[in-house]
Amino acid sequence: MSAISELTSLSRRKGPKTAEEKKANGRDNKAAYIFLLPWLVGLVAITVGPMVMSLYLSFTDYNLIQAPEWVGLENFQRMFTDARLHNSLGVTFTYVLVGVPLQLAVALLIALVLDKGLRGLPFYRSIFYLPSLLGGSVAIAILWKQIFGTTGLVNQVLALGGIEGPGWISDPSTALGSIILLHVWTFGAPMIIFLAGLRQIPNMYYEAAEVDGATKLQKFWRITLPLLSPIIFFNLVLQIIGSFQSFTQAFIVSGGNGGPSDSTMFFTLYLYQKGFGQFDMGYASAMAWFLLVIIGAFTAINFIAAKYWVFYDD
Amino acid sequence: MQLFSKSGPDAEASRTQVTKTPRWLRKAGVVAAAAAAVLALSACGGGSAAQSADGKVELRFSWWGSDKRAQVTQEAIKAFEAENPNIKIKPEYGDWSGYWDKLATQVAANDAPDIIQMDEKYITEYSSRGALLDLSKYDIDTSKLDEATLKAGQSDDGLTGIPAGINAATILANPAVFKAAGVALPDDATWTWEDFERISAEVTAKSPKGTYGAAAYGTDEASLGVWLRQNGKSLYTEDGKLGFEPADVAAWWAFLKQMSEGKAVPSASEVVEAEAAPLDQSGLATGKNGLAFWWSNQLPALEKAAGSELKVLRFPTKTGSAADAQLWYKASQFWSASSRTKHPEEVAKFINFLANDTKAGEALLADRGVYPNTDVREAISTKLTPADVKVVKFIDQIKNELGEAPAPPPKGAGAIQEIIKRYTSEVLFNRLSTDEAGKKAVDEMTSAISS
Repeated sequence: MSAISELTSLSRRKGPKTAEEKKANGRDNKAAYIFLLPWLVGLVAITVGPMVMSLYLSFTDYNLIQAPEWVGLENFQRMFTDARLHNSLGVTFTYVLVGVPLQLAVALLIALVLDKGLRGLPFYRSIFYLPSLLGGSVAIAILWKQIFGTTGLVNQVLALGGIEGPGWISDPSTALGSIILLHVWTFGAPMIIFLAGLRQIPNMYYEAAEVDGATKLQKFWRITLPLLSPIIFFNLVLQIIGSFQSFTQAFIVSGGNGGPSDSTMFFTLYLYQKGFGQFDMGYASAMAWFLLVIIGAFTAINFIAAKYWVFYDD
Repeated sequence: MQLFSKSGPDAEASRTQVTKTPRWLRKAGVVAAAAAAVLALSACGGGSAAQSADGKVELRFSWWGSDKRAQVTQEAIKAFEAENPNIKIKPEYGDWSGYWDKLATQVAANDAPDIIQMDEKYITEYSSRGALLDLSKYDIDTSKLDEATLKAGQSDDGLTGIPAGINAATILANPAVFKAAGVALPDDATWTWEDFERISAEVTAKSPKGTYGAAAYGTDEASLGVWLRQNGKSLYTEDGKLGFEPADVAAWWAFLKQMSEGKAVPSASEVVEAEAAPLDQSGLATGKNGLAFWWSNQLPALEKAAGSELKVLRFPTKTGSAADAQLWYKASQFWSASSRTKHPEEVAKFINFLANDTKAGEALLADRGVYPNTDVREAISTKLTPADVKVVKFIDQIKNELGEAPAPPPKGAGAIQEIIKRYTSEVLFNRLSTDEAGKKAVDEMTSAISS
């Protein structure tokens, strides 16, 4: 059973209700709403309110100090001619399109190895999951900066072999690669989900295949991958959405400026700079909504494409 | 897979349990939830009560700077509070990089600190939008303050900043690096840019790998400003436009590139890395650079980080005469006030204390540059540390060589440094020719300050 198919079938399960049941439901709901209140207040004050506000601001010229001024679609038109914005889109797309597949491949590989019934599995699982807990943090980004500096650990090791490495994060041609590597390193979360998925595949399929003389590779392509496809899909959707929004790593590693030469200027980082560094909050809000549209489009494409490769076993 | 399953026997069981819970327990739950909601709500509304019940006024005062600055500023606050028991000053301080993001957000949220340490790059940004108080309307004595720096805080919007200190752009030398390389320190009264390049390259050649004769310029507007002034141009004009052409800044980058290729200054990657390093890990402080570009008031902090003596030098010139160095007195930072402060009188009293009171001077000494009030400068002269004395002497020494005071940075000037930095690395990494970089940078700067 896949998570997503189960969720959709859940919403379909509705039967007729008696008056008695309805009354009891109403009482329950009241209590539920009261318990939900702290969360609802947070939702309105911290999520929905600011979202509505930012939608309004995206149609204004707002410098943070004076009242916003309505300018209609001007902010959105400006995006077409903003070369730095186009560059930041390029950087972000590279990050997502290279980083996410790589990360999922690594996660799947490690999950397959761990699924072989290793002794001390919980230990290894925890170790491999650790980077995911740390990866988005400021401390790790700073550590990354040290490791990949001109005189950092990587270059020290290379120097032992007589190679003089570049300044990985200070050279525009390798800086983005270093940040993608940091992203790939945080494969723990999808790995755990893959592991759970692998455990759900009934052993009988493999046994049947063995009887038919299938090789290991054949078993992987014909049994594991198809049966795991809903999980792969789930991870893919989550990781793509998350990666489009990533900010911390680039912010810390580049010292907040997306440098060198804008090579790590993520869309979110540029948005932040415009809004808080250059007093252009109207434009920054418009950018945020543009990003939402991009993420929405990618997710939609994902769901449409899923019909052709995701296999549900139910 | 059960990871996201919401149905099943567990859910059913818990549902029946809820209906069976005793009434008193449910009531208690409701009360707890309501209390939590009230707490959450009240947490949002904090920070507006400025006057407490006993008639005390609380003012918020924010600045950027090092730990040392925080320490001396707290001492000045204590001295003020001792004299004015009815006013309480609440400090808020942090790093330069986060300071401006935070201030912009606070101003937008109508939650600006009452007293704001301000920089010349941003003062027009804030004052032209009405965010800063016109201090000339309040009781602040400006008669003893240095005229040039006082003028820098004055605009069509009134007197929105009182200078906190006097600074000059300098080149600081680390004599230990020169000594180790066996190269004599340059004579700053006569040196030219060619000397700067030659001497730096010589130091690099005679030093261990990774040590360079000089740090690269190109990471801020001060060094560009000096270069332009020596070439008869300026960063900005009086009417708030750019004061130079693409070719001027292209020549500046061409010279930098030449120096980087000749190893007088570090390679492109090293320049980018050095940009991000905080003051105490800068090349000058760690003994990796013989010469570096800094503001004069940063010398004491740098000496402390380096653990050895540093020397203040004038900028090199084209002609070899210090009279053509075209330096100027800069207001290191300003004391400004939020236009929305509820207690302008008290704010003015505090700023007046900081600017004119010897007790404030005795605490702050020369941390924010040489004291603009000549009386205070005199009174505290015996208390200065040797490092401070060096700075004060240098400021005095160049007094008769100064060029005309530069035009104040226009609105949007806060973005200029970032543009300079970015195109410096484009040039050093050979991604753009110096001419292309000049054109593109000037385009971007023009639109930044005209919007």
